[in-house]
Amino acid sequence: MTGRSRGAVLGLAGVAGFAVLLEAVPRLLRMPQDVLPPLSAIVSALAGEMGTADFWQAVADTLQQWALGLVIAVAAGVAAGVVIGSVAVLRRVTASTIEFLRPIPSVALVPLVVLLFGTQLGSALVLIVYAAFWQVLVQTLYGVGDVDPIAEQTARCYGFGRWARIRYVLWPTAQPYVATGVRLAASVALILAITAELVIGSPGLGQQIAAAQSGGATALAYGLILVTGLFGLVVNVGVRAVERRVLRWHVSVRGETAA
Amino acid sequence: MLDVRGLRKVYAAKDRTVEALRDLTFRVDPGELVCVVGPSGCGKTTLLKCLAGLLDPTDGTVLVEGRPVTGPPPGMAVVFQEYGRSLFPWMSVAQNVELPLRQKKLPKARRARLVADALAAVGLADAPSAYPWQLSGGMQQRVAIARAVAYEPHVMLMDEPFAAVDAQTRADLEDLIRSIWARTGVTTLFVTHDIDEAIYLGQRVVVLSASPTVVQEDLTIDLPRRRDQLETRALPRFTELRTHVYAEIRRAQGREPAAPELPGVVPTGSEG
Repeated sequence: MTGRSRGAVLGLAGVAGFAVLLEAVPRLLRMPQDVLPPLSAIVSALAGEMGTADFWQAVADTLQQWALGLVIAVAAGVAAGVVIGSVAVLRRVTASTIEFLRPIPSVALVPLVVLLFGTQLGSALVLIVYAAFWQVLVQTLYGVGDVDPIAEQTARCYGFGRWARIRYVLWPTAQPYVATGVRLAASVALILAITAELVIGSPGLGQQIAAAQSGGATALAYGLILVTGLFGLVVNVGVRAVERRVLRWHVSVRGETAA
Repeated sequence: MLDVRGLRKVYAAKDRTVEALRDLTFRVDPGELVCVVGPSGCGKTTLLKCLAGLLDPTDGTVLVEGRPVTGPPPGMAVVFQEYGRSLFPWMSVAQNVELPLRQKKLPKARRARLVADALAAVGLADAPSAYPWQLSGGMQQRVAIARAVAYEPHVMLMDEPFAAVDAQTRADLEDLIRSIWARTGVTTLFVTHDIDEAIYLGQRVVVLSASPTVVQEDLTIDLPRRRDQLETRALPRFTELRTHVYAEIRRAQGREPAAPELPGVVPTGSEG
């Protein structure tokens, strides 16, 4: 068995074990159905919900918010990172500001954005972009800082202009870092999308969870939570697959194949 | 072609200054293959960076094809010691060789031809689609040499290009440089710390002193034009030149009072 398929088998075994646990624990502890229902009840509630248009509308809303926020954050983060990272003065001027703004939890901005945008989609989008932007920016800055001086000198010797050096040296060097930033940002964006829907009540899966919970449909609430977890998984696997394709030249992907 | 006049470079740090190069004057005429040799820490890399326009000298001037160097000169190709860092791992061998030609805005067909010819010249005609990191160190340096050759430079600078490869590969690469130079006649300045290598390769050897660095000697290598790893290195004249340069470098480091006389050698430093 290869390492990869072995890993997949072990991973599936872990999931199966967790499923058994979710089924067994509520039954063994005789938990009431409206506090911790067994997995079978959760799945059947979710299956029923999946037949409704509301569910799919919520999924679409969440995905749309997530994707839009992520795209904006990545574009802005990469652009800002490349510009700031390649100008020494800008880097020094912005360093402390970035370190100050970055740790502010996006959720702390909820009152502010509600004041500005109400409970509309704009609110959720601002929170998502704010949270995801820093992940991309900081990673891009690391990447830009990692440009090999010899590679840079080589490019200059062979008459590469500023733009050509950014395109052919800086950008490929930064790519693995940007990929990490995108992967982190994708997860954070999902968290913030659901949070915004839960807290502000903008349409999406988070809002559905809040509605199910307050309506006493506990099993359904758990089911929807599982769906958000599944999203996170799919997002991570997807980004990693793209990473492997684009970065097949990079040590992290190719492994240490000394010729 | 390459004219270095009174070159001085001082690195100024906060609390102290380091004089890497004190006063260098030498020239390389069109079509010459000149080696620069000196003890470690004598500022060879600093010299090369000043020549390549990557570093501004504190004093003095560098002229390439009659024009003062203020940035990387257009007709110059550089081969670095650190081939692994100088080649771009995200590009194939052929793409690495071709990229500078795209910066030169050469038409596609011409680029393809130059890339194929250069790879053939370094013995890598069958590896254009490989990635540099799939090749051995010696082969990677061949790619870097192919990139320089394809660029069709007027001047080629080489900064200890073979310091990181094994002895056998090194001998092969030395012969490769000789053959490329003989075929293209490109003006070449080859920087090395290896005395044997400098004498084997060069028509002239510029010996640098220890830091603060000046030109200790400018020596014409009067060995037959056709060099052979076995025959040339076995010539009595090779041994004489080697002993002489070695003594010069020992003297440069302050360990010996004076180099022994070398029969028949006329220092060429003061010539036009």
